[in-house]
Amino acid sequence: MKVISKEKAEAYFRERIRNTVIYLSIWAIVSFGVVLFAERLSSFSINGFPFHYFMGAQGAIVTFILLLFINAIISDRTDKKYGIDDKKGKRFNTGTTVDQ
Amino acid sequence: MDKQFMVSLLIIIASFALYIGIAVYNKARQTSEFYVANRGIPAMMNGMAIGADWMSAASFIGLAGTVMLLGYDGLAYIMGWTGGYLLLTFLLAPQLRKYGRYTVPEFIGDRFESHTARLIAAISTIIISFTYSIGQLSGSGVVISRLFEIDTKVGTMIGVVLIATYAAFGGMKGITWTQVAQYIILITAYLIPVIFMSLQISGNPLPWLSYGEVVAQLGEIDRELGITEYFTPFTNGTKWQFLALLFSLMAGTAGLPHVIVRFYTVSTMKAARWSGAWALLFIGFLYLSAPAYAAFSRFILMTKVVGSKISELPAWTTSWINTGKLSMADKNADGILQWSELVINKDIVVMATPEIANLGVFVIGLVAAGAMAAALSTAGGLLIAISSAFAHDIYYRVINPQASEEKRLKVARWTIILSTLIAGITALNPPGVITQIVAWAFALASGTFFPALLLGVWWKRANANGVIVGMIVGLVVTLSYIFTAKYGYFSIAGITDTGAGIFGAGSAFIANIIVSLSTAPASIKAQEEVINLRYPEQMTYKNGEVWIDGTV
Repeated sequence: MKVISKEKAEAYFRERIRNTVIYLSIWAIVSFGVVLFAERLSSFSINGFPFHYFMGAQGAIVTFILLLFINAIISDRTDKKYGIDDKKGKRFNTGTTVDQ
Repeated sequence: MDKQFMVSLLIIIASFALYIGIAVYNKARQTSEFYVANRGIPAMMNGMAIGADWMSAASFIGLAGTVMLLGYDGLAYIMGWTGGYLLLTFLLAPQLRKYGRYTVPEFIGDRFESHTARLIAAISTIIISFTYSIGQLSGSGVVISRLFEIDTKVGTMIGVVLIATYAAFGGMKGITWTQVAQYIILITAYLIPVIFMSLQISGNPLPWLSYGEVVAQLGEIDRELGITEYFTPFTNGTKWQFLALLFSLMAGTAGLPHVIVRFYTVSTMKAARWSGAWALLFIGFLYLSAPAYAAFSRFILMTKVVGSKISELPAWTTSWINTGKLSMADKNADGILQWSELVINKDIVVMATPEIANLGVFVIGLVAAGAMAAALSTAGGLLIAISSAFAHDIYYRVINPQASEEKRLKVARWTIILSTLIAGITALNPPGVITQIVAWAFALASGTFFPALLLGVWWKRANANGVIVGMIVGLVVTLSYIFTAKYGYFSIAGITDTGAGIFGAGSAFIANIIVSLSTAPASIKAQEEVINLRYPEQMTYKNGEVWIDGTV
């Protein structure tokens, strides 16, 4: 264990937050955004579906799945960039146990 | 006893024998490997297990019917139950994993250093899981009543006995490989009828690509009938209801105690991220197929069933009429069935469509087995969440800290039995269709746990007073909105009972923030623990400095 500089720790946190904000903005646009303008988006269609219906039934869900995988990959890269060794992360829960 | 009954029953029994077999095999193996077993489960397998846990009777039995009858408005459930995983995986799961507690009430009790907060969290867990399990019990009732061709009430009672027995076996819940098997049966049972219907209607084996045209044709049929088109938005509620429901389902997903618990079993924050991603991929297969299922069902009903002579309707109609969930009345007495004369309950669409489309006894039996797997596995998890909240968090931690292990186990067993019974009695006269009942559970989770966990993980200034007031306000506001909106006393912007979570969450956030800021901050230790959650396990925040393991 060694101390790392405040700037570096702060930079790590900022990078993660920035990425999360980007992902959640896309998340909000494809779901809430499309619903908000559903009437206007229904005028053109994709593969037989009116666009608003396509987004609700397929487009949004596929985007969600992609965002989660992109986040998993990019976060691994960020961790690596800041010198985090993923083999050392595994730990047991430190909390109290549930005896069920 | 007809052939269909025997085939369905055999497939259900065979699938349950498989789950129990895997559980017994794994239990025997785990004891011998106990001390070397801390390797953790691969993220992909864990994702599949989360999928099996997650996909309940509401997703399997209720969802396609809801989309079929509500059209575009039903898609709020599709987006809500998938989109919530982003909130969970980005904002809560890795951080809760690092904090390292076993249950949600435990996290809240320890993070806020308050027994009162722990108690309220435990009570909320019980209320949420109880509401959710009513939906599961009425789901198993639908399957069993069709199987024996009996009234749904009797079917539900049989389901109660089955679920109580299943949950009493207990251990089965946590065994990942059983859940992997459940997932595979569940998704196969769901996809096969959709693929067959796609072949039947469009000749294309890929329903996801072929049903766009079917949706367009449904629109045409609707125009001819003079009703609003299938895909027209906001015909069953206002736009604000759609948005409120969407938020409520998403935030609820991120706050459901029995789902969050799954992320405690992974080894690291990194594994939590990957598990979340795999989980949504596996869950996505079902959610991407449900609207296709809905479109095909509606198409078959509108083109093949409607228009036939009432006296010549096929056998499946009588079986479903016997369950009390289907009715047809020849209102204009012309001897021919019209679309408006057919009243179909949302909950039977998935089960009835394979029969309507004549997909054969095997497929119909498989769908019944998949539906039972969905209802029983989720119900098992919910009952365990209820019993651990009561026996551990309330009885042991608050009421009687001196209780022996034996006594606590006894309390846990009685909690399971009593809550199954009470949920079963409520499910005899379900207060709504499955998706609606389950939506209340999500509204309650978004009104209580979502704000408490989000602020608890990300805002160090949140303190015990804030979280206590926040959770109580959220619970009261959500519950009262559900009741007043359902019974028509009061509603805002057309938002109905299912969208109650937005008001619950909103008021809980405000209450938590105001009370936290106007009372003394949490202890230095609690605040440091919150800052620590910004970093992965290899980095530790201590006395204002960040320490790192390994080479830099």
